[in-house]
Amino acid sequence: MDSRRRTFLKVLGGTAAAGFASQPLLRAFADPPVASDEFFVLIHAAGGWDVTLSLDPRNERRGIIEPGSTDTIDTAPIRLWRNAPLDADTNTFEMVRPAGSSLRLGPAIGNLADIADRLTIINGLAMNTVSHADGTFFAATGRHLAGGKPVAASIDTMLANEFGRESLLPTVSVGYPSTYVGNELDARVSPLRVSSVDTLSKMLARSNVNTTIADRQAVTALLSEESRELAENSWYRDEIEGFGLQFQALPRMLSPDVQSIFNAGALAMAQPGLFPSPGLRFQGRAGVNCAFAVEAMKRNLVRCVSFSSNSHDTHTNNYRSQPLIQQELFDTIASLVRALDAAPHPTRVGRRLADHTHILVVSDFCRTPQINLTMGRDHYPNGSALVISPKFVGNTSFGRADDDQLLPAIAGTFADGTRAVAPPDLLATFVAAFGVNPRKYLRDGDVIRSLLRA
Amino acid sequence: MKTTLQRAATALLLTLGCNSTPAPPLAVSPTDAGSVTSRPTQITPTPVTQIPGHELIAQDRAPKEPPRLMPAETLIRSYIALFGGLSPQALQTRLRGTTSDNLFDTWADYLSALGVPDYAVDIPRAPQTNALMLAAFERIGVALCERAVQNDLRGALAADRVLFRFDLPTPTRALTDDEFGARFDVLHRRVLGYPAALAPEGRIPRFRTLYRDAVTRHADAGARMFNGPEAGWASVCEGLVRHPEFHLY
Amino acid sequence: MRWFHAMSAAALVLGVSTVGRSAEASPTREQYRLFRALSIDLQGRIPLAEEITAFEQPGFVLDAWIDQHLQGPAYAERLRRVYLDALRLEVGSMFNFVSNPLVLRRVAVLDPDGVPTYVYSRRGQRRDRVESDLDFCLSPDETGFTINGNGTLTGVSRPVDRAVWNQRTVEVRPWWLYRDYRSASPSQRITPGDGSAMQLSPVASLMLNADNVTPTTTIRVCREEAQTADRGQVYLSGRLTALPRTEPYPGGRTSAPPTDSAYARAHATDMVSCTSGAGVGLSDDCGCGIGLERCMPGNSLTNDPAAFNIPDNVPLGAEQPLDSRSQTQGDWVRFWWAQEAVHFLDDLFVRDRDVRGLLTDRGTMVNGATAQFHRSFAASTCCGNGTAFNYLEPVALFDPARVPADLTPHDLASWRRIEDRGPQAAGLLTTPIFLAKYGTRRARAHIVYNAFLCRQFVAENVALTPSTDPNLMTRSGCAACHASLEPLAAYFTRVSESGWTFLPADRFPAFNPACAPRAGASPNGNCTPFYDPAFGTATEGMLRGAYGSPAHADEGPAGLARSIVAAPEFASCVAQNVSESFLGRSLTAEDQPLQESLVTALQGNGFRMRALVRTLVRADAYRNANNLASGAWRAGVTP
Repeated sequence: MDSRRRTFLKVLGGTAAAGFASQPLLRAFADPPVASDEFFVLIHAAGGWDVTLSLDPRNERRGIIEPGSTDTIDTAPIRLWRNAPLDADTNTFEMVRPAGSSLRLGPAIGNLADIADRLTIINGLAMNTVSHADGTFFAATGRHLAGGKPVAASIDTMLANEFGRESLLPTVSVGYPSTYVGNELDARVSPLRVSSVDTLSKMLARSNVNTTIADRQAVTALLSEESRELAENSWYRDEIEGFGLQFQALPRMLSPDVQSIFNAGALAMAQPGLFPSPGLRFQGRAGVNCAFAVEAMKRNLVRCVSFSSNSHDTHTNNYRSQPLIQQELFDTIASLVRALDAAPHPTRVGRRLADHTHILVVSDFCRTPQINLTMGRDHYPNGSALVISPKFVGNTSFGRADDDQLLPAIAGTFADGTRAVAPPDLLATFVAAFGVNPRKYLRDGDVIRSLLRA
Repeated sequence: MKTTLQRAATALLLTLGCNSTPAPPLAVSPTDAGSVTSRPTQITPTPVTQIPGHELIAQDRAPKEPPRLMPAETLIRSYIALFGGLSPQALQTRLRGTTSDNLFDTWADYLSALGVPDYAVDIPRAPQTNALMLAAFERIGVALCERAVQNDLRGALAADRVLFRFDLPTPTRALTDDEFGARFDVLHRRVLGYPAALAPEGRIPRFRTLYRDAVTRHADAGARMFNGPEAGWASVCEGLVRHPEFHLY
Repeated sequence: MRWFHAMSAAALVLGVSTVGRSAEASPTREQYRLFRALSIDLQGRIPLAEEITAFEQPGFVLDAWIDQHLQGPAYAERLRRVYLDALRLEVGSMFNFVSNPLVLRRVAVLDPDGVPTYVYSRRGQRRDRVESDLDFCLSPDETGFTINGNGTLTGVSRPVDRAVWNQRTVEVRPWWLYRDYRSASPSQRITPGDGSAMQLSPVASLMLNADNVTPTTTIRVCREEAQTADRGQVYLSGRLTALPRTEPYPGGRTSAPPTDSAYARAHATDMVSCTSGAGVGLSDDCGCGIGLERCMPGNSLTNDPAAFNIPDNVPLGAEQPLDSRSQTQGDWVRFWWAQEAVHFLDDLFVRDRDVRGLLTDRGTMVNGATAQFHRSFAASTCCGNGTAFNYLEPVALFDPARVPADLTPHDLASWRRIEDRGPQAAGLLTTPIFLAKYGTRRARAHIVYNAFLCRQFVAENVALTPSTDPNLMTRSGCAACHASLEPLAAYFTRVSESGWTFLPADRFPAFNPACAPRAGASPNGNCTPFYDPAFGTATEGMLRGAYGSPAHADEGPAGLARSIVAAPEFASCVAQNVSESFLGRSLTAEDQPLQESLVTALQGNGFRMRALVRTLVRADAYRNANNLASGAWRAGVTP
């Protein structure tokens, strides 16, 4: 009760400011500083995760909530699972209470429990949808789909547009719901969408048997010039200008330094902590993507890395693996944070990458509080998100879902009144943390000041 | 991306701006006076050709459409068509060659970068290019062009040539501008689908320079490497199969 | 003249009118561009040199060329891509298709002479002796090893007694080795295909004996699996109670012998279908049929063993694969499901059938592999708890009797049109790939709504209040979408989720008194898989998913198809899908006249797609559009 009250007060403080001051807010963003030393990792926990096992834990039968239990899930691989009686022959879990933290977490949180002081958790996100596509894009863009299509830029594109225009790779998107929609976007920041990062090294290999690098660079230079001329004479220039910019980037793309970050073996050598042995059952690809992020950022080659995890969509008795799917993802994120702690910043002498790297984890929505007939959980219009960022206040949980039905509950007073927190608020807060005017990209959403460090 | 309306509005402004005849006074609408103190005169529609000085100015009445990226399936088929119409696997075998020159891997290695959708895992087709896609275009383009040079310019009969359907002077000598232009036109028509003479005027000299520079760089190439004309034509070929006009339509 | 030739400029003065070209004039650059675009869209590649030469000839008539190319495989592929991009009709290994009644796995056993020999068997096979019922046909006491749940072996093999060997196993010439497997003495052993998917190509290990050297000419199969009867009698073992765990199980088996189910005891003299999963589980007379054609081979004991070489990547079609590799029996089945959709679409577009057939056509296309699936495999997933409703032989979405009997699994390159799959069939909606890709009633309805009406469910931005209302059509915050979605989803009430088993009304009435929720008591366990206690009344239970519209439930997917194609948005959605694909951009309000003209063309020509595409490629937006900046075209004109 106390913690809830504290949360509510924080909301009041933060949102009152937002509510009063929409004009001053815009003025404050009139000349946003370009924080080009910042890096971003955006993660989509695909399929809709069950937050009752981790970020918004529930271990009591209450209302329609049936907590995860030994009847429904495989507890053996869940390291933080401690049995707590649910009924005569069934156990649920004990809450995880990290030392020195006020957070209460579920056992699927994995190694993130060790860095609870760096976690900013948003619960009770009003997703207002149970459609994968809609939830996915709502979480990433702050807008529901319209006519089946995304209508706004995704968060990785927003950040790349602000801070990545000069990067070789503004955004590398591995299955993330990246969108490039809007009038404010630079042609250079169109997301580089790939299905996997570690199979691309062959693409970047070149043979020097018949011709030389000088021959190829001469062709590229010619094509760059051709693109410029074509663009000059075109009504719609974006596509052709994009070609030109990409031709200019090609020599750098083909450098050995870049090739190594697209190679699984090289990534494993560079970041062994992200490749545990035995290998992960569900989230091995997340480790590859995180290793890529660290190595690419160390080289200052990329501004945003965004990726989707393996699916949390567990409608049937595959729900038994839901906590393991989450634990592997959270363990990987914890390893990513450690790797960022150990990595030097490429341009700021004496600083760590972790001091300037910001991680946002979202999902489509969450899963039903009830267990269905096939021992799984279906889609549910609530959600949670996780931020690990030096710009955000750690050891914090914001927003909540109600006790009986796990539905988003009022989080505070926003500019449009009292309501639950929603993805546009989270995205607005995230971009505002870096001095970006949220209204440049987001139609909706208030900045939650209480989540940001002074 | 600007909408067509925005573009049209821009065009209209440009048109008005270039009109050398002073605009007549604007009429005032009595029903909409408000706080406006002077009103425009009604403009009588006038065909642009009747405006002095505009009698022969071209009017582009065509709707404007942005170019679109060739679908990846069509791209692969076009590669195949350009280089002899083999089956994909047969072409792959030819591109890989018998030596370890690492020119080509497998089609499957490139599909993701080329933007081929993967319906099984719900990866949509790539609607626009990116740096990695252009790297893939180069990787494939180099392989296709260098194999074509090896096939066509090293003694193949004219009927057996798949791409370079022209002769080179023997003994080898530098090509004149016209000789280059005629051969370049063969490739230009084949790859980009129209005569080089209709291309932007900088194109032929630009490719000619590319060709000659490659010839110069390879003047004293070793036995394994392409000689001057081979390297020159390989470069020209690459420049065409990696060209924005090849990939956009 | 800086950018292009005066000829181009002249064309601009004329509004780039490329429809007609005077006999003497050379094509303009814009005309070349248009021809190339048409070739890309209608031929699936850039034009060949000869085609460009033909185009340049004075007598070339572009409209005739267009009409000539609004047919054929490249044209069909172009339109197919529109719908496959929208529907994404492929499933990966996440859709795990391992149906035990289908899969023959193999294990190396020492034959009576001590020679390692593969013996094929399937899980869940009924056998008439307690040592092996529902287990491998040779007991651990006979082979020396036990087979663990994960397919590994424990123990030391020893030669099997000859009498047992001869009694319990038989030699067969199976369909994957012999093209004439249906003959009395098969002799046409196949040569391994090239993996092109046009020719049957078992993985190399299936073509070799256990010594990995000798080409396999016959395989040894458990006797029960080799049976060929179409129907079998329900088997009664006489075991009524499970053996106590304190005693060793007969023959050294590690699992308890099965006992007779209540259903078996009540139907001991019944004959059951040997293609139904339920039948296979009830009768020891049921085997894999002639040449084992009702089963898939596997080269190991693993859950989803390798079976055939097939391509991984076929962006240019299965006839032109980019690769080929050893894949599992599940991969094989999934591959051909996807190909059924490809050929269904191609046939519709090549023959210019009514495009409403995407949803309403009762016909489909089959080749040897899909014929085998519909004839022998599809029913293997039926019927689970359906036995409680006396439902053992499914009413098929594709009536197996309508599958051409002469199509064998070897006929992979031969696709044949089946005019009528049966009364439940509805275009793509009842194909296995659609039902596998979209596993739930709501997912199925959602994609249809999205792809064929070009509409999306858009959530309202309201606070969700706690509620116990199970009816999502009325529940606050849910109703905005579900009021539309649930009635659509109800059309799939009678098609099982994550499968294709049809639930006929005579066995599964929408309202069933036998499944009325029992006040204060736990629900009837036989009913709950099919009937939703949340929506029953005191006197009857309601079929799951029917609450959105019981009438729609009885209409089935065909009812949804009729409803969608009758909707006014259907034709405009077709026009939108096709034009957005051809123009490479979303339609805007400015495109409304174009869209309307396409709808008129479609509806005025019996919903034939060819008329729509012809109109589209002749429309200004396609034909006369250019991307020239104003400065470019001005610069080319001499005043």
